Amino acid sequence: MRTILHFNSMFKFLLILLVFCTQGIFAQSTTEVTGRITTPDGEPIPFVNVVVKGTNQGTSADIDGNFSIAVKSTDTLVFSYIGYATTEIIVGDKPVVNVQLKEDIATLDEIVVVGYGTQQKKDLTSAIAIVNSDQIQKRQTTTVAESLQGLASGVTVRGGGQPGQEARIEIRGLKNLQNANPLYVIDGLVTTANRDFNPNDIESIQILKDAAAAAIYGSRAANGVVIITTKKGKNGPLKINISSKISFTDVPRYDLAGQEEFVRLNNMAYDNAGIARQDLDLSVNTDWQKEVFRTGLIQDQNVSFSGGGENSSYFMSGNYFGNKGTVISTDFDRISFRVNSSGKKGVFSIGENLAFSNSKTNQIGAPEDLRGNPFIDVVRLLPTIPVYDDANPGGYGYGKSGVANTFAANPVAIANLINQNVENFRIRGNVWAEIDPFPFLKYRINFGYESSFDSYNYLRKEGSWTLNQPFEPSFTNQNKAQSQTQLLENTLTFNKDLGKHSLTVLVGTTYQKDSYEQINGTKRNLLINPNTGDYFDVLDLGNQAQVGGFRNEATLLSYLGRLEYNFDDRYLLNAVVRRDGSSRFSDANKWSSFPSVSVGWRLSNESFFNVEQISDLKLRVSYGELGSGNIGNYEYQGFINTFGAIVLGDGQTVYPSATQVRLANSELRWETLKQTNFGVDLAMFNNKLQFTADYFVARTEDVLFGFPILLSTGNDGGNPIANAATVENRGFEFNLAYNQSINKDFSFNASVNFTSLDNELVSLGNGLNESIQGNTITRAGGPVGMWYVLQTDGLFQNQTEIDSYTNSTGEVIMPGAVPGDIRFKDINDDGQITNEDKEVVGSPWPDFEMGLNLGFQYKDFDFSMNWIGSFGATVYNGFRSIVDRFDDDSNYRAGIQPWTPENPNTDFPRVVKGTTLNSRADSDRWLEDGSFAKLKYIGIGYNIPAATLEKVGFTKARISLSAQNIITITDYQGLDPEFSNNNIFQRGVDLGSFPNVQTYSLGVEFGF
Amino acid sequence: MKKIVFITTVLCSLYMLVSCQEDELDLTNPNALTTDQFWATPNDAELGVNSIYAMFYKDGLWARWMNFRLDLTSDEGFSQSPWVELADWTRFNYINYNFWEGNAVTWRDTYKSIFRANQVLANVPNIEFTDQTRKKQIIAEAKFLRAFNYYYAALLWEDIPLVLEPSKPDDLPQQVSEEEVLAQAEADLNDAFADLPLAWDATQTGRPTKGAAKAMLAKIYMQQHKWDQAKTALDFLVIGEGATYSLVANFKDNFTDLNENNSESVFEIQFGDQRRGGTDEGADASVSSTRAQFFAPRGIGWSDGQARFWLVDAFKQEKTVDGNLDPRLEHTLFYPGLFEDFGDKTYGRDWEWGADEAWFRKGARDYYRDNEDYYSQVNYRLIRYADILLRYAEVLNELGMTTQAYQYVDMVRARSNMAPLAQTHPEIGNNPDLFLNRLKIERVLELAGENVRWADLKRWGDLDSQAAVDEIAERDPDFKNFKVGKNQRLPIPQVEVENNPNLSQHAEY
Repeated sequence: MRTILHFNSMFKFLLILLVFCTQGIFAQSTTEVTGRITTPDGEPIPFVNVVVKGTNQGTSADIDGNFSIAVKSTDTLVFSYIGYATTEIIVGDKPVVNVQLKEDIATLDEIVVVGYGTQQKKDLTSAIAIVNSDQIQKRQTTTVAESLQGLASGVTVRGGGQPGQEARIEIRGLKNLQNANPLYVIDGLVTTANRDFNPNDIESIQILKDAAAAAIYGSRAANGVVIITTKKGKNGPLKINISSKISFTDVPRYDLAGQEEFVRLNNMAYDNAGIARQDLDLSVNTDWQKEVFRTGLIQDQNVSFSGGGENSSYFMSGNYFGNKGTVISTDFDRISFRVNSSGKKGVFSIGENLAFSNSKTNQIGAPEDLRGNPFIDVVRLLPTIPVYDDANPGGYGYGKSGVANTFAANPVAIANLINQNVENFRIRGNVWAEIDPFPFLKYRINFGYESSFDSYNYLRKEGSWTLNQPFEPSFTNQNKAQSQTQLLENTLTFNKDLGKHSLTVLVGTTYQKDSYEQINGTKRNLLINPNTGDYFDVLDLGNQAQVGGFRNEATLLSYLGRLEYNFDDRYLLNAVVRRDGSSRFSDANKWSSFPSVSVGWRLSNESFFNVEQISDLKLRVSYGELGSGNIGNYEYQGFINTFGAIVLGDGQTVYPSATQVRLANSELRWETLKQTNFGVDLAMFNNKLQFTADYFVARTEDVLFGFPILLSTGNDGGNPIANAATVENRGFEFNLAYNQSINKDFSFNASVNFTSLDNELVSLGNGLNESIQGNTITRAGGPVGMWYVLQTDGLFQNQTEIDSYTNSTGEVIMPGAVPGDIRFKDINDDGQITNEDKEVVGSPWPDFEMGLNLGFQYKDFDFSMNWIGSFGATVYNGFRSIVDRFDDDSNYRAGIQPWTPENPNTDFPRVVKGTTLNSRADSDRWLEDGSFAKLKYIGIGYNIPAATLEKVGFTKARISLSAQNIITITDYQGLDPEFSNNNIFQRGVDLGSFPNVQTYSLGVEFGF
Repeated sequence: MKKIVFITTVLCSLYMLVSCQEDELDLTNPNALTTDQFWATPNDAELGVNSIYAMFYKDGLWARWMNFRLDLTSDEGFSQSPWVELADWTRFNYINYNFWEGNAVTWRDTYKSIFRANQVLANVPNIEFTDQTRKKQIIAEAKFLRAFNYYYAALLWEDIPLVLEPSKPDDLPQQVSEEEVLAQAEADLNDAFADLPLAWDATQTGRPTKGAAKAMLAKIYMQQHKWDQAKTALDFLVIGEGATYSLVANFKDNFTDLNENNSESVFEIQFGDQRRGGTDEGADASVSSTRAQFFAPRGIGWSDGQARFWLVDAFKQEKTVDGNLDPRLEHTLFYPGLFEDFGDKTYGRDWEWGADEAWFRKGARDYYRDNEDYYSQVNYRLIRYADILLRYAEVLNELGMTTQAYQYVDMVRARSNMAPLAQTHPEIGNNPDLFLNRLKIERVLELAGENVRWADLKRWGDLDSQAAVDEIAERDPDFKNFKVGKNQRLPIPQVEVENNPNLSQHAEY
């Protein structure tokens, strides 16, 4: 294997040399050309980029639109500036070239970053979405992913309102089962755009959606790629931009029963069960939501400095982001700095992007699955439980046997008894250098480095938060960790126009090393400072020490090549091959190659094509294969677990033990995504109307996933990863945008995007036919995670109905039922209700999702809004499965009307304590239509007129008012139908998900 | 031309750089030994066999849920847990067969133990030892523990897959009948008996002895009514070479951490509180029992399991020779009259629970603290000599040697100051049925709350007829849910059945 590789590299190397040798070296005299760039109305346009076509030689115009550049008479000058149509002019013999640029509301000539290079939007042959950074920066979000919501077709985002919570993002569906997150590339550094990244620094975002587009990134790109380019300085004097945004946030609240209603229903449930009522403390009336939720506050302060000369540029920014959460004891703080700069001398240029950030998250501790999640605790706690109770250890109120039968945890107690903080200090940056020895050749070396120093502190004070809690001494658990990514990339780009042929060839290598190291320690029985009453939370104090630490490393080495060919702007070809080697696979399976090819046909440039309204029409087809190795670092090997110990001997001494606990598959190989994409790009009416549509089939084979294996293997510690399944996603998506300037004062834009996706698990590996997880089933031939539950069929109204509810052989199906109980369907007709009666009854996958963006500008005012919608998903309402169950005490939904002999006209079964008959978690009683439309953003801005500003020396001043998540149209009865569940198989389960917060923001922005 | 030279140099060095990096793809895990690096030295064998014992500390087995499967499912205990599904699994309301805490985790942990034993049995024979005796002992320990786990698995689920080789991820083991499972356990125990010592030195107590192997064999034979073989096995402990056991004077010494591994202990699970991790496989994995935390009364522990009140009455049927209450009552149960009868409180509290409620006391740490936690260090006397004596009496009775059986019952009774059985119950005489009926009560009085009752009921056939079950249901209404022919064993976790073509669910489920 290794020899072949060497041969491959050698071959590439020779090829490159050959290219050199066949090229001559030309020399020609140059002259100085000057000119002025204006709008058709004669207004100067400052800072326009002026480039000699086919070279890197270029300059920018000054503030009055004047430029000067040394050129040859045969050169073509390319003038480009955001918001204007790019214009090309052949220099000829003229010493002065004055240019008028037309405003281009939607530019087809936009430069698109495609990975290791750029392309013009019109030349794209694969599915790439471009997101306007203005749209992103308008919103008040913590992470980039959240702000992408609804702005691009094929991109599904689910946010969450917890401070510092990272949104879930999926590009074109669930293509593997390990990790659906796309790859982020920030200024060429492969990384994650997590909460440590300041979204204010974004200049542009491109989303590579199909395999052909993402192929250049090879492995890790199977979930799509989000390419982020941060802001750069522009030619001109120092520009300062200051913005400040302040937002108030609120969580939606449950509509819960008040004390009186609770008491009535609770007594009814006990009476119906024939159990003595509990001795509820009627003197207490606690509104737990009031105790736990609060109005949050977000502030986002940003300042940036930028500028540059002809051969250099710089950009610096600083940001403070603070989020006081809507739940007590939660907040998030981030300070970040960025410096981007570049310089150039002759054929040599160099640059760097560097960002530092320090973020701190204070979380409410969640000691157990269902305890410590405030969105569950506030409904499980009874209104008759006091917040504080001196009789309990620690002094907080919670359930009490016979008085308040609940095991809910008191979130106020948890907030005070547990301190949990995470702090990350992150450095992220890259240094690059380029040499352009010839106009057609560019060599680039890029070294990227990212490191995060993570610190985790957990302090458990003595005290209880729930009934019957075992005594636990105070303790602190702390860990310090460092993660590092090193990236080294070498690329060589050859670019030549030969008549109607235009050819770009890119070859390169990349090397990436990731490592993570952690040390941790725990001490118990901490000392208390008698003066302050606080615990000493350092590891020096306390006893029963416990220490640990581990280290993980992974490397990835790749060879890549890309060919872009354009004939006469009519026929476009793009081919990529990438060969990846990963340390995560065994020697035999480390290397694999992934090819892709895409072609485009610009129909509108054909001579026979003559439709005046159509300014551009392009058909695209692509096919690509991508490898993915998104698994743990050493999954293909079995290991010995040495954590165990046993006690032996009369002295009860501890002896060590060791054994294999987790099984492993030694034959793991690359997961492969094969994606075919058909697309059309259409622009009409002078580019006012733009339409892009894509149909794709993405098939992932050898999906790496740890499906449950037989329990009788005795495996523990996680299911062994296997090349387990084949998943297929077929989807259709389109984006339609319309922009128009009615007159000088008024312009508007509207766009709609649409995504529809069918997910299918083609086969499960390991000889399995289906995988049941919770209330879902994943079967070969069906989508992942379908609802698999018992079906309810109304209520029994009387004994006759119970007695006559029989199967085909006359057996009474539910003889134990009582009038008012739920009737379940006996699907298999065996005369009883068992697991065998479960059927697939719905899908957690939406039929389609949409985004709608509207905006207009009138004089100095602008307005925009953004809606998102998701339709057709069936979701599990975890909230209702708690409050409507009655077998276990909790607070209840306000206004429910349970069945009673006096009130038989209801769909709510009789309430009865202690039996799960009516409250089975595995029934369709808790499934609801999760369709919704949500006003994600609405905002209005006012730009103070330039005339006024000039007097004070400002170039820009803007005030904006906006709101997020304030309208949700839905039938869903939980808090927020837009929730996120990270369990891939239970994505439709909303059990205590943190809802999106309603945000009201005021922002000001100055530039001078 | 200079440029070309320059570029060539750059490219060549670049090429070199990349070639070097290819080696960097060979990374080894810095955190753990791989499986093929292990099983090389005698020390590896020691660590490996120890890991089977470590399974005692897991949730699915003796640290927690096994107590629910045995004590609470039997008519001695029940659950009023507000976690209804948890309680349902102690009263034959099996709805979701995959319920982790009630079923699947015990199944999984059983096979985890077996996997560990199989690793030892497959690998240790290939390890070179200088001490051949120790090598044989290690293999014998693994066989004992494999048999031990198969015995309890057969008791709970009856027909189950028999796994005798180290597991692979795609294994689909074949289900065999309960008889075949037990036959394998018998074979393993007989092998183990040959190589286990009569006693371990003081640093190693807790490993099985020859006596423990014979005791396990006796349990297995008795469940199958193989009385002759059972007698032979028990002979070894009572009158044979292994008759080194004696009852401790103080009954309570069997249930605290104060006199562990005493003369009465035949096989004892060694619990400790030295490690404060979880019950999973993480760092500092605990070595403790959580039974007391789960069975402690409301307001003290989770109170998920408690004793049926008929036990209190059973103790009060007969007084000691001094006319006092049976002293075993005090150490077996917390009950409303505890203070009145013995001047003893419940975790230092006055009785604050129902007038007809009782809680299990064996293993509770109220003798030195007023609460519980997940780290009880009190050893669990899984087989103690009193149980052996009563079993010996039962076997003799079954073999028509009722007269000889009396003395062994009387030995147990005498420790608690109870008069000889023939004296207090002359009506029994030599009637083996009456003797067995009395023995059933004697076993309750001595062994209630020690996880033996479920196997006893099965062995006595008390779960095989509706009439017998109805009688039990009078003591424990949970048995109203019991379906004869079905509920004497648990359903197999449904995921296992669905994913293993070689395994079928019991027809009644």
